[in-house]
Amino acid sequence: MTAPDDLNGADRRDQIALLEDRLREANETLDAIRNGEVDALVVDGPAGQVVYALENADRPYRVLVESMKEGAVTLTGDGMILYSNARFAELVGRPAERVVGASLFDFVRQQDLLERMLAAGGGGESAELLLLDANGETIPVNVSVVELEIEDGAGRVLCGIVTDLSQNYARAREVAEANARLAAEIVERAKAEESLAIALDAADMGSWDLILATGEMHRSFSHDAIFGRVAHAERWTLETTIAHFAPEDRDAVRAAFESAPRKGRLEFERRIIREGDGAVRWVFVKGRTFYGDRGAERVAGVVADVTDRRLIDEQLRQAQKMEAIGQLTGGIAHDFNNLLMIIGGSLEALSRGQSFDERTQKFLAAARSGVARGAKLNQQLLAFARRQDMQVEVISVNDLLPTFETLLDRAMGETVVVRVRPGPGVWRCKTDPNQLETAILNLAINARDAMTGGGMLTLTTANVAVSDETAARWETSPGDYVEVCLTDTGMGMDAELIARAFEPFFTTKDVGRGTGLGLSQVYGFAKQSGGFVAIESTLGQGSSVSIYLPRSDAPLAGPRAAAAAPAEAADGAILLVEDDAEVRAASSAMLEALGYTVRVAANGPEALASLARDPHVALVFSDVIMASGMSGIELRRRIKTLHPDMPVLLTSGYTAHLIPDIEGASPLLHKPYTLDALGEAVKQAMCEQEQAVAPPA
Amino acid sequence: MTGDAPTKADRYVLRLFVTGSTNRSQRAIENMRKICEEHLAGRYDLEVIDVYQNPDATRDLQVVATPTLVKVLPEPLRRIIGDLSDRERVLAGLNIVPLGGGPETAS
Repeated sequence: MTAPDDLNGADRRDQIALLEDRLREANETLDAIRNGEVDALVVDGPAGQVVYALENADRPYRVLVESMKEGAVTLTGDGMILYSNARFAELVGRPAERVVGASLFDFVRQQDLLERMLAAGGGGESAELLLLDANGETIPVNVSVVELEIEDGAGRVLCGIVTDLSQNYARAREVAEANARLAAEIVERAKAEESLAIALDAADMGSWDLILATGEMHRSFSHDAIFGRVAHAERWTLETTIAHFAPEDRDAVRAAFESAPRKGRLEFERRIIREGDGAVRWVFVKGRTFYGDRGAERVAGVVADVTDRRLIDEQLRQAQKMEAIGQLTGGIAHDFNNLLMIIGGSLEALSRGQSFDERTQKFLAAARSGVARGAKLNQQLLAFARRQDMQVEVISVNDLLPTFETLLDRAMGETVVVRVRPGPGVWRCKTDPNQLETAILNLAINARDAMTGGGMLTLTTANVAVSDETAARWETSPGDYVEVCLTDTGMGMDAELIARAFEPFFTTKDVGRGTGLGLSQVYGFAKQSGGFVAIESTLGQGSSVSIYLPRSDAPLAGPRAAAAAPAEAADGAILLVEDDAEVRAASSAMLEALGYTVRVAANGPEALASLARDPHVALVFSDVIMASGMSGIELRRRIKTLHPDMPVLLTSGYTAHLIPDIEGASPLLHKPYTLDALGEAVKQAMCEQEQAVAPPA
Repeated sequence: MTGDAPTKADRYVLRLFVTGSTNRSQRAIENMRKICEEHLAGRYDLEVIDVYQNPDATRDLQVVATPTLVKVLPEPLRRIIGDLSDRERVLAGLNIVPLGGGPETAS
């Protein structure tokens, strides 16, 4: 204590006062700290002043952290949780006391990712992780980690903010699902549109969509193609569509479109004049109206070219009509034959062996001529009905041409030039040459009548391979055919006329000039031969009719056997089998007139019974078709088993479809027959039987 | 450099150290404001320092706890710790004679 000695008294007092102040201040500070009157202590550390907050100094921040919606944790560098706010404890579904002291790794699924985040730290790492709650459920969260600045040596402390993304995820999922639904709908719709387009394309249909407000039409490519437009037009309105229709159809088309908004639909089949080639085509248009908030907005639908279908329909209708007429004609011809038989037979029986005055003879002759004409007409009816007997043989048409040429020359007269042009190497075919001759004659007569002022008739032959398409059109089979074609330079026919040309009794000739059966015979004959007939004609430019006969590779038929010499005497008993009483009476009278004894039977069983009682008959003469059920053919078969030597002569109005098993030599007499024809047939049948039975001399 | 501050011997330079926005800090600020307005109107210069934001400011004035009011001038330097709710003690520490008269007088 040497220094105080140097100080004077005043200085000392000042010094003491200062120290007292200092002491008081220090005491006050200590008291304040002790009494908790301070918030923080400031310590002079090596790295500068450090503030230690005391007591509740950080309370507002704690409240802030506790009440915020994010989870907040502080962690050691290796992930141990030092502090957890209530929200984080809530997120992981555990009480906070269990969370603090645990490792954050216990609550996170992606351990690797968390490890990397903690290792990096500091820079504010942020990542989306999945939290695991006490139930094992996962919660999507965003975790961001920052390193807390702590004094040196205290180890790393990290602060983590955990944001619950469940709601975001749920919303994102909803949006994603909505998007997926929408995308699926779009795909579905695109698929539907695509399949529709494919279907329309396959059906050769075009689609169109009319916007009523503007009159604008959206169309598919095939729509424009149907109307004949090759380049897809940019703009197409309802007026464009209407303008494509045939002038006489335009009003109807316009009316259909105008009424569509009211009716809700439209459908019509009308003609268009196709762009480009100017062809008249039938189109089918169908559509429906689509309504919006302000009424009808669009009319949309399809269009198809139905010309071919209409043509096929027309042909089918025609074929069905011809078939029906054929059936009808066949039936009529059968009855008609019986009537002629009665008249003819009665006339023959009446006039046999008697002499009449000149006047009576004249009338009888007229009556006979009438029967003969009726019979001829009937033959043509039967030809059309395809119920005529076909004497089918293999022939070469070219071989027959000279005969035909002579025939045509005679029929045509002097004003028409006849030319015959045989095709090279024409195939053989199977047909009835006599009917072919009749057919050509029928065609020639039509040609002559079409060339009133003279002209040229050309007969040609050729080989033709008929395609599937052509065959379908003419209702025949594809394959090789021989074509016999007659072409004239006459007035020709229009389409309507061609369509009806084959109908029986259809004629353009004056009453009494034609029967209307000529082309019908040609048609029936060709069909019955397994072929067909085609007509091509333009009004004013002549006609061309072709008969197609199926090719045959079989050898040509030899010359026909000459008819056997008739037996001289007409005697013996004949068993007549006929179900029509009047025909039976007429035939019986005719046979008696020829000198035969006649026994009659009304049907097959009756005939067999009669033969059983007395088999002594020279011949059985039977109708083929009888109402009782047993046909003449069946009767003949039974007789042959009982009496092989007994000759059987059959007669019929039409038989072709019924007698497939009659051998070529089997005698058949066509109704109606004359007395001479009957006599001849009976004699021949008896004679042939004798020849067949008699041993060779 | 303020020209007139040294010449006026009775001008007060005060520094109040607080910690963020704690209740105590807010009370200290409010109390100080009142005292200054009532007793030192027009002759004081008060700065409020948040030690969180500026910890180094405590070093020069040797502040060890908050809240602490430091009377820098007039000398002698004097520190008063607490929320300054004990007005008598604060006035004494600042060497201010209460307007209503009292035992202490300025020396």
